[in-house]
Order: sequence, then C-alpha cells, then structure tokens
Amino acid sequence: MTQTYNIRHRSWCLYEKLVSFARCNVRLCPIDWPDQNLRHFDLSVQPAGSIASKPVRMGLVNLSRLVVDDATTWLDVTSNTQIVVDRPIPVSRPDDRTIAAVAKAARESRDIGDLSPANFLYPSAQIPADAGIAAWAAETLAPDRGAVDAIRDLSSRIWAEFRYDGSVTRADTLPSQAFAMRAGVCQDFAQVMICGLRSAGLPAAYVSGYIRTVPEDGEARLMGSDAMHGWVLAWCGEARGWIGFDPTNGIFMAEDHVLVAVGRDFLDIAPLDGIFTGAGTQSVSVEVDVIPV
Amino acid sequence: MADLADVQIIASPLLRETYCAEAGSGDVLCASSDVLRHAWDAAFDELISAGDGDLGQTRDRIQRQIDDIGMSYRMADESEERQWPISPIPLILEDAEWQRISAAVIQRAELAELLLADIYGAQRLIAAGTIPPAALTGSAHYLRSMVGIAPPGGHFLNVFACDLGRGPTGDWRVLTDHTRSPAGAGYALENRIAASQVATGLASRLNVMRLAPFFSDLRAGLAAACGRSDPRIALLTPGRYNQSYAEQAHLARYLGLLLVEGADLAVHDNRVYLRTIEGLKRVDALWQRMDARLLDPLSLDSRSAIGVPGLIDAFAGGGIAVLNFPGSAVLESPVFSAFMPKLAQRLLGTPLLMPNIATWWCGQAREEAYVRGHLDRLVIASAFNANPLGLAPFAERLGQDMSPEQRARLELDLDRRPQDYIGQEVVRLSTMPVLEGQSLQARPFTLRVFAARDRQGHWTVMPGGFVRTGPVADVRAMSIGSGTRSADVIVLGSVPTPVISASSDVAIRRNPGTLPSRVADNLFWLGRYLERGESILTLVRVGSAGTVESRAGSAGASDTTLHICDHLVADEAVIDTPDALPADIFSRALSDLSARASVASVMSACRMIGEGSRERLSPDFRQLLNMPFPEDGLFQERHFRLKVRFAALSGLAAEHMGRTAAWRFHDLGRRIERGIALCRLVGDFASNEASGEDLLALLDLCDAQISYRQRYATGLALHPVRDLVGLDPFNPRSIRFQADTIVAHLEALPQLRDDGMAEDHQRLAAALAARMAMITADRLDQESCVEIEMQFAGVSDAIAQRFFLRGGKVLRASGMTLA
Repeated sequence: MTQTYNIRHRSWCLYEKLVSFARCNVRLCPIDWPDQNLRHFDLSVQPAGSIASKPVRMGLVNLSRLVVDDATTWLDVTSNTQIVVDRPIPVSRPDDRTIAAVAKAARESRDIGDLSPANFLYPSAQIPADAGIAAWAAETLAPDRGAVDAIRDLSSRIWAEFRYDGSVTRADTLPSQAFAMRAGVCQDFAQVMICGLRSAGLPAAYVSGYIRTVPEDGEARLMGSDAMHGWVLAWCGEARGWIGFDPTNGIFMAEDHVLVAVGRDFLDIAPLDGIFTGAGTQSVSVEVDVIPV
Repeated sequence: MADLADVQIIASPLLRETYCAEAGSGDVLCASSDVLRHAWDAAFDELISAGDGDLGQTRDRIQRQIDDIGMSYRMADESEERQWPISPIPLILEDAEWQRISAAVIQRAELAELLLADIYGAQRLIAAGTIPPAALTGSAHYLRSMVGIAPPGGHFLNVFACDLGRGPTGDWRVLTDHTRSPAGAGYALENRIAASQVATGLASRLNVMRLAPFFSDLRAGLAAACGRSDPRIALLTPGRYNQSYAEQAHLARYLGLLLVEGADLAVHDNRVYLRTIEGLKRVDALWQRMDARLLDPLSLDSRSAIGVPGLIDAFAGGGIAVLNFPGSAVLESPVFSAFMPKLAQRLLGTPLLMPNIATWWCGQAREEAYVRGHLDRLVIASAFNANPLGLAPFAERLGQDMSPEQRARLELDLDRRPQDYIGQEVVRLSTMPVLEGQSLQARPFTLRVFAARDRQGHWTVMPGGFVRTGPVADVRAMSIGSGTRSADVIVLGSVPTPVISASSDVAIRRNPGTLPSRVADNLFWLGRYLERGESILTLVRVGSAGTVESRAGSAGASDTTLHICDHLVADEAVIDTPDALPADIFSRALSDLSARASVASVMSACRMIGEGSRERLSPDFRQLLNMPFPEDGLFQERHFRLKVRFAALSGLAAEHMGRTAAWRFHDLGRRIERGIALCRLVGDFASNEASGEDLLALLDLCDAQISYRQRYATGLALHPVRDLVGLDPFNPRSIRFQADTIVAHLEALPQLRDDGMAEDHQRLAAALAARMAMITADRLDQESCVEIEMQFAGVSDAIAQRFFLRGGKVLRASGMTLA
C-alpha cells in the first residue's frame, strides 16, 4: 500500500507598496518521520538572486531563513516535494493504557527530547486552557477508558458536530472562538481537539502537512484546490507513542497524510511567517497540489 | 496608633514606645537590638526635623522629589501614570544581619546560574530525574529553541533579585526569585535619592551604606560581558506603555546606557546595530527588560511587534550579549521552590543559607497526596504563574478559605492536571512602621534585594533595596497599587560614609554620544508641534482681539476677523461648521480635542512625544508639557496661561538645551513649522488684494508691529510689510530667517557621504535659502508663498527620509565600514 506523492506548494505575497528587508521563516520541508520517506525537496524564491536560505533548525520542524534585501512588491515561495508514504491505519488494542494511566505516565516521563510528552502537555500561546472545551472533552475522555479509543471518539465528535467553514475563522482564531461557533477549518478543529486532550492531562501536538484529495468517481482531480492541512498527534503511552488523528475528516493519520512539521500549535510551525520593512497592506495566496503518482 | 498631632511634639524614643505599645511583638522596630533602637530613634529625629517637626511634611517633600525625578508607574491597561506611593520611614538593618542576607542572596544567584546553565545546556539534572521535565515545560518562559545556545558573555544571569519575607521571630525567607530582568533597582535608587535630598543628615548620622558603588559595579559587569573595550550598551525597553518604563528610562540615564526600543535596532550579518543619525552603530550588549518571548519575531513569538528580527540568531552567533539570558525567567515558576533545597545540595554541596517557602508540586504522586491531605493548611497556587482551570484567574487560595464549590472545582482539575498546582506553607510576615495618612501604623512588609555581577563576574549585593508594605498580612497578594507603599532600606555601615564619591576615576568627556534616529525623530516633531500650538494660539489671540473691538458678533465682525477664522479652519484647528460665530470658533480652536490641530490637541501630542523621550528632556521641560490644559477661567486668562507656557518651553529649549544634535533636531522642527506657518500667513494676509486691516493683523500675528513702526514712519504699505515678515534676514520670525537657520543646522549635522557631495536634504534646503535670498517683496505673492511652503515641506520630508526611522529604509554609510 505504498503511495508516492508529488507536492507543489506555492505561496504568493503581494505588497501594496515597496517593501524591503523582508526576513521570513519557511517551514515547508517534511521532517524525518516514521512511515514516510522524503525523495526530493526543492525551494525556490522569487525575485531571484536575493535569497539566503539554509536550514537553521532541525528536529520537529525544518526551518529555513529567507532574507530579501532588495525592495520588492511581491514574493513567490514555491516548494516541490516528492515523498513516499507507507503508513498503516492504527487500531485500538485491548491492552491500551487508560486515559488516567497515559496522563500519569506523561507527567512523570523523564524524556526531554524533541518528542517528549512533557513538551506537549501544557497550554501554548495559541491554545490556552479553556473551561468550556475541557468540560466538553471530558464527556468523551473518561479516565478509565482506553486512550486510543477515547481519543478517536473525540476526533469523530469534532467531525460530526463541527461545520467546515473557511469564512468564519482566521489563522489567529483561538480554539474557544471556533468551539463557540462549532465551525472553522482544519486548524481550528485540530486546536480544539488539542485543547480538549490537554485539559484531560494528555500530551497533544499540532501537525502541519498535506492530505491527498480523493477525487469523486469519474471526475478529474482539481488542481490547486488543496491547501496545507493540519491535524493532531496524541501521545498514547510509552508503548503506543504518538498516533495521528485527523478531526477534519474523522480519520486516523495514515497513507493519505504527509507530515511536514510538528509543534505545540500552529504558531510554532506556520509554513511561512516573517517581517519586512515598509508600509501598506499585504495579501497572501496559497496553492497546493498533492498529486499521487 | 500614634497620631501625627503627637508625632509633632514628642521626642523620638517616646514615639517609638507609643508605636510599640500597639504594634505586635514581632515588629521589626520593637524587637530590635539596642544599636538598632538607637538608629531608629536617630532616623525619626532626622525625618521629623526634615519636615519641620511634622513627619507628614517630610513625606510630602520626599514625594515631591520623586515626582521631580519623574518616577511613576503604570497599572496594566491604564493610560495615565500614577504617583509612586512612598512611606518616609526606612527599614533599618544592622550590618551583621545584612551580611547574612547578602550571603543568602548571592548563594541563590549562584544556584540560579548553575540551574540555567544546565537547563539551557546539557540538561543533566533532567536526565538524572532531579528536575522532572514536566516541571520545566509548564513554564511559558522555558524556551526550547534556546537550549544549546551559550551566552556570549559567559553568564546566564547578570542581574538577580529576591523578594524576602521576615517572620515574626526575625527569621527570613525567600518568597520569590527574579531571574528575568528584576524590576525595582531604579525605584530603590529613587527612594534613596529623594529621601537623602529631604533628610540630608540621615546618611552621615547613621553611616548609611551608599548605593552608587553597586550601580557602578553593575555597569562594569554589563561591560565585561562585551567583546571589546569601551562597548556600546543599551537598555532594551518594551516601550513607554510598559509598567516600569519610568524606571527603565531613569536607570538608563543613571547608568549612561542608551535607552532603545526594538525598532531602533537592526541586525546585519549576525551583528546588532543601532539606527542613529550617523548611520548604523554597532551595539555590544543589551540589558533587556521585556518578556523574552517578544525579543525576536523571527526566532521566538512571531506576533511580537516590539522585538528585533534576527536578534536571537545574532546572540547565538556570539554577535551580541543579551542580559539576562532570554529564557532565564523559567526559574521564576513557583514550582522551583519545591526543588531548590535539593538542588542546592546537589549543585553547591551545601544547604540553602535562607529557606524558601516550603512547596509541594502536585506533578509528583507523593506530593500531590500530601497537598490533598493538607488542603486546609496550605496555600494552593499555580505552579507556573499561569491560570489553571481549577483556580479563579490569578488567585491563590488558602485551602481553608475555599467555598465548597471552589474546592470541588479545584479537586476536579487536580484529578486531571495535578502538575498545574503547588501547595505552599502559609508565611506570616512581621511588621514595620509605616506612615499612613496621619498616623504610624504597623504594616507587614517584603524586602526586594538586588544582586549584580561586577567587572570580575563576582556577585555584589545592593546595600539596600526596596520595601513594599501592604495593608494585609498576605503580602504575596500585594503589588504596587493595591494600597501598598514603598520605602527605603538602610543598612548601617561600620565606617563613616563619605558625602561625595571620589570622582578621579571618571574620564572627562564632552561628546554627548550617539543620537538614535527615533530620538531625533521625536525631538523634531516635538519642535514642530510646539511651534504649531504657539502659532494657533497667536491666531486665536489676534482674532479674538479683533472681535472684541468690533463689539458686534458675526454681523459686525470685520473681514479680517472672518479671514482669521478661515485660516484656523484651513489649519485644522477647528472643524468647520456653517454659521459659527467667530467667538465660538476661537474658543473651539483653543480646546476642542476633536480637531486635529486645536491648541489642546497639539499640546496633548506634545505631551505624548515628551513622555516617549523623557530621558532626553529636563524635568522642567516635562513638567511644563504635562501641566493640565487650562479648562476653567475667562477666555483671556486661559489664553494668557497657555501663552506663558509656550514661551517658557521655547525659552528652555533656547537657553537650557545643550547645543547637541538633539537640540538641532528640535530646533529644525520649530524652524520648518514656523516657515510653513509664515508662508500661509503672508500668502493669506499680504496677498495682492490685502486690506490695511489684513496687514495690521499680519504684523500682529508675526509680532512685528513695533519693528515696523520703528522702520517705516509713513504707515502701512504692502511691500514693506512683506519684506519685514518674509525676507528680512535679521528678523527671527521672518521666512528667510527660518530657511537660513535650517541650512546652518543641516551643515552641522553628520554626513553619510564621504565624497564631499551634498545630500538631498542639504540640496533642498540650499535651494530654499537661495530662493529666499533672491526673491523681492513685489514677487512674494500668494502663489510664491504656496511654492515656498511646499519647499519647506520637501525639506522636512528629506530630513525624515535621511535621519528618521519612518522611511523604513535601513541606511548604511557608503564607503564606511560599519562601526
């Protein structure tokens, strides 16, 4: 069931007036992760000739710094990725640890590495603790339930109870706001779910990546209709480790998913952010094509 | 307690006895030794005589000194700064007790340094299980991306502080550690300076240990962190809306550090530069006073609008020292109190010299069980200064004070996330005498003690600090503002205190130092606005004098009066309304805040700018800027008070400001604004169609009536008037005089080019001055005035583009290596 993808991701920034001294973080190159194998990655930035780009940090995110010193009114950042995914669908097992046991193991873990459960145990800048989400999540996350089972149920509840609507939230919308509307996009669903998991004492991380869009039978796959996707990694105890859940689609992370970066929330791993010197407004448009080959 | 009426007549020992009869036995004054009692009596003597027999007077005088220094603070979400509340009675400590306190604080600083070195280095304590990872990652100030970065200066901490509490039996405890950028050293300095200016005999009579050596050690310690001699060190402030901006500005001035904001700095090739009027200047070290997460929008919180993009990369590359280490605030989490005793043993091999509050972290099973079992006797708080769901926001609660609902809420969250909570023993604080209103009261207090590294990197402790007293026994709930006061701390020295420090080691210098672009920008606009306010005020005066003479409302108002009204509308001093009477227009031009350029609006803009450059302005200047706008009284009186204020401000600028680049920018702003205003006036009131009354008004507006009459006995004529207010090079209020002065200022300011060619702003100014030299009175018509006004505006834009930040363009000096 191996699946190879060619992914093209283009971000196109337009500025109202000349900007200079732009410095950006680019987080587009997939990290090493089990069950996926990066074959090719290239990054091009236009206007050409003004890029200084090399990886500055590895680990759970591949970060490149980009410096544009010459004044410009536009910026085009395009990446091409080829990656092979061979990821089985996880299943819950009778010997899965309970929610309470996972929470205890997480707070007592001695691990301080990149994927330490302790790093994902607490509220983060974009996902503050929220009493409403905590109470709502507690309905599903009973302490004596098997963790994988209960977390999958929470993911399914979001898929069932929330409405997908790209017009009601923004990149900086807080989970509590999306929760109040029971609506949003993948980032909101993932952050609500992370908020709920953490309120029960479970470590949860935000994942950015790509998902294959499955075309309807007989219809051509739509180019450029995809965007960067976000979902959840939940730590399910020492034995099971990190398991991916996609509340936007109510499914596990499996071979439709390409994992790019892992962070405490979206702010840690935004695909593109940065600063520039200048005045006026900017607009950013994004095109993503995920083509199975 | 002892009433002030009594205070005024009784001798100090009696005052003490009266106080102690009512204060508890644990009071620091009443339980003191003979030596201390003697010192307290002496202090009361000095303080009472400093107020001419009235302690309340002493307090008011000290308070005035503090206001003069500009010390104030800001509550979160408040736009106005508040007076710093003080009590004139210091806390007095004996040398021997102080030595014990100092040793304990130094030990704690050394422990904190070792801890940070491990947390942001090899993380051996975590691998060994001494610090559980979850006790670290719960802090929002644990910055994972900083792990592995070695501080360029070699130290993680340069400045450190502890809040201490004294128990009723005289035992001291550490309440809080301050590892980020301890606030308050400036306040301590202030309290001392103000008190010693009022109670002049106190220092020598008690051999009070001086604070100055500590600050010079601190300064030397910052310099030692830099890679070159005579380094450029800046204090990085979050900006003027920060709670302790006044303190930061004062410290920067006292220590001779540049006060900079994030926008003042630029990073190139992993080095940090200050944007100055001379181009980019290398900065060697930053004493940072902001939340470290906001330091760099690229490496840390991308939402930060006050940071320096690329700063952390430069720091990691060794290009800049940033003190304290960004991320050092992780140790401020209360959870660390639970580990400190064990960590002292492990890292220092000795027990803590002074205990901290006994603390149990619920992230550990045994400790959680203990806390749950002793809820009634413990204070429950956030382990990380956060807002866990089981407690009301920013509330720490004594278990026994909780309602059943509160307790149920806490226990529910304790089941889910015990790691968010700590239990702490209840600390009782002893009291000290505080002057509250009219009487001496025994009030609980905490003491903040500061330590800094000196030139050799050794810790040195400020012999003093500041005391906070509160109305309630639980001082941890105290922050300045909620009924608290601050007081000085005096350490009795064993040798007499010299009155003046030996100053032979201070190198004499005349160069005022580098002027940051932002400061030049502020001073320039301060000049422009002050001039604008003055010119609007003059229009109002001349206009309203005219209406009084015509005595007949709108119908009887002369054309010239209506003309002045139109002028005020065009200047945006008044929002135009049809049918408004001239008197109404003049009154609104004075005080209508909804018009952009009314005198009140302009004064408020001046005040804003003045607050943002307070480290460059004299206290007198700021005081004048901050005086309340005269709202009451007769129109003429209010007008006169404003006129005097403007005159005083320009007098201060002309006669008190050093002739530095800073002054030139301030004066450039005034000249450009006056040039523009004059062009408009001459164009309007000395047009080819001008009436005699118009010309008379113009002479009045330009303060030139007397000069004109002395020069021309024949009466009013158009061309002589134009020449006097437009073209006379000797009239300081002529258009030409402004142009000539601008050229002279620009000649004296630094040049970027080294090829001898003039820069844009100089060429434009030269063209303006040449035009003013060549033009004759018959040609100075309305059309020319408009063109000349545009030239002034063009020079203003070119100055902004070249010297200020607003252009957004980061400048490098051509042909120069970056300094």
